[in-house]
Amino acid sequence: MEKSPPAAALRPQELVKFFDMSIDMLCIADFDGFFRRLNPSWQRTLGHSADDLCAVPYVEFIHPDDRAATLEKAAGLTAGTDAISFQNRYRCKDGSYKWLLWQAHADFQTNLIYAVARDITERKCAEDMLKVTAAELSRSNDELSQFAYVASHDLQEPLRMVASFLQLLEKRYDTALDEDGKKFIHFAVDGAKRMQALIHDLLSLSRVQTRARPLVPTDCAKIFRDVVDNLQIAIADADGTVTCDSLPEVVADSTQLAQLFQNLIDNALKFRGTEAVRIHVGAVRRKGAWEFSVRDNGVGIEPQFFDRIFGIFQRLQVCEHLPGTGIGLAVCKKIVERHDGKIWLESEPGRGSAFFFTIPDKKLAPVG
Amino acid sequence: MRNIMVMAQQRTVEILLVDDNIGDVVLTKEALKGADFSNHVSVARDGCEAIEFLRRTGKFADAKRPDIILLDINMPRKNGCEVLEEIRCDEDLRIIPVIILTSSEAEDDIRRSYELGANCFVTKPADLDEMVKAVQAINFFWLTVAKLPRTL
Repeated sequence: MEKSPPAAALRPQELVKFFDMSIDMLCIADFDGFFRRLNPSWQRTLGHSADDLCAVPYVEFIHPDDRAATLEKAAGLTAGTDAISFQNRYRCKDGSYKWLLWQAHADFQTNLIYAVARDITERKCAEDMLKVTAAELSRSNDELSQFAYVASHDLQEPLRMVASFLQLLEKRYDTALDEDGKKFIHFAVDGAKRMQALIHDLLSLSRVQTRARPLVPTDCAKIFRDVVDNLQIAIADADGTVTCDSLPEVVADSTQLAQLFQNLIDNALKFRGTEAVRIHVGAVRRKGAWEFSVRDNGVGIEPQFFDRIFGIFQRLQVCEHLPGTGIGLAVCKKIVERHDGKIWLESEPGRGSAFFFTIPDKKLAPVG
Repeated sequence: MRNIMVMAQQRTVEILLVDDNIGDVVLTKEALKGADFSNHVSVARDGCEAIEFLRRTGKFADAKRPDIILLDINMPRKNGCEVLEEIRCDEDLRIIPVIILTSSEAEDDIRRSYELGANCFVTKPADLDEMVKAVQAINFFWLTVAKLPRTL
């Protein structure tokens, strides 16, 4: 048997087979607004018989809100403009509507329109659901950050009263109090102060959202110099040396990027080992992002805590002499995530830690 | 330094404290107790009272004109910014130094206060000793170092 070459034209019987089998809805319509021929997919999709569909102008089946746009498209077709990716809604036999995606072309020898429609109702529903969910999510996120901000602000006030008047009590009635009395007041003041620190830190966490500034080209070398300058007392106290690679320019919120570096370097200074502290900030080019690292020779962290340390108010060491509430790395994580990056660490107890984060390349946000 | 203080001590300094939080009123008065000069503190509990006090209306008909005003921002009825705006629009009152003393550290509040003509903005410290120090610093600068306009 002779094989036909691959590009040979299909025979009419073959075309009819495909016409009948097609999942998409194929049709031929005239320039007067009537269907002339429909494949079986029409009845399968909408429920109407081909005869019913051909009996009245097709515009009768179109959703009232989509009629004007459809007629305009049809007018365009008869003027020679193909319809590509046009969408409208067709009424089904049960009264519901289906979204159709169209591709159509007019033939001026026969004065007929050849068109293919695809049922995209499910995709449309999914898109709508996604839009609703995204809007809800964004609203609830806004509410949450607003809530944290307001709560922290309004909680500060009464707490200031508690702490201040306890201190006044301690001062004024110093001689009237016995050792226990002084101890009790000390615990109460200490508690109030810790609560203040927690609220303060909660506020700084919520500010990552509420005080966010646009992402702009930011010189990391300058940020590094500023941060080292800010920390110079702490660095001197730790007998520390902070060095860096040549650092790139990235698109970032410069205030937040500075806070990120500062928190990581500050942590490295805080959790020092017995040797003089050595901290190195590195930058490596990865695909589509810069990967930064902050390495130290401090106490290190056990792997089982790697995930936990990025949580809010997670501290691994119960140490009276170590200040801080355990919010620093949560803030770091939030800042990195706002820049669509990732943060992680490598560490071994006694061998120092290395924190890594990525700042992906970004197109600049439009001005204004 | 002693000279300045002697000059300041010549008469009682009138201070108007505008704050709705009674706790803060007590704390501020406490901090003023240690001042080197004789002072008298009047208290207005919100912005409306402050304006009545300054205009000597209602129950404040006998109010003394303050040499300096310590003004909170977040208050019921009329907030600190509104009070400040009214003071600065008033021919007679506009020369009185106004110190914003508030628990707010919001950037917007700071900017707005200076825009409206505040003489300085101080955030109330959370720590008692710091709070006392802040009030004393205000006293020292505004009531001893700085020359204030003579009350007519």
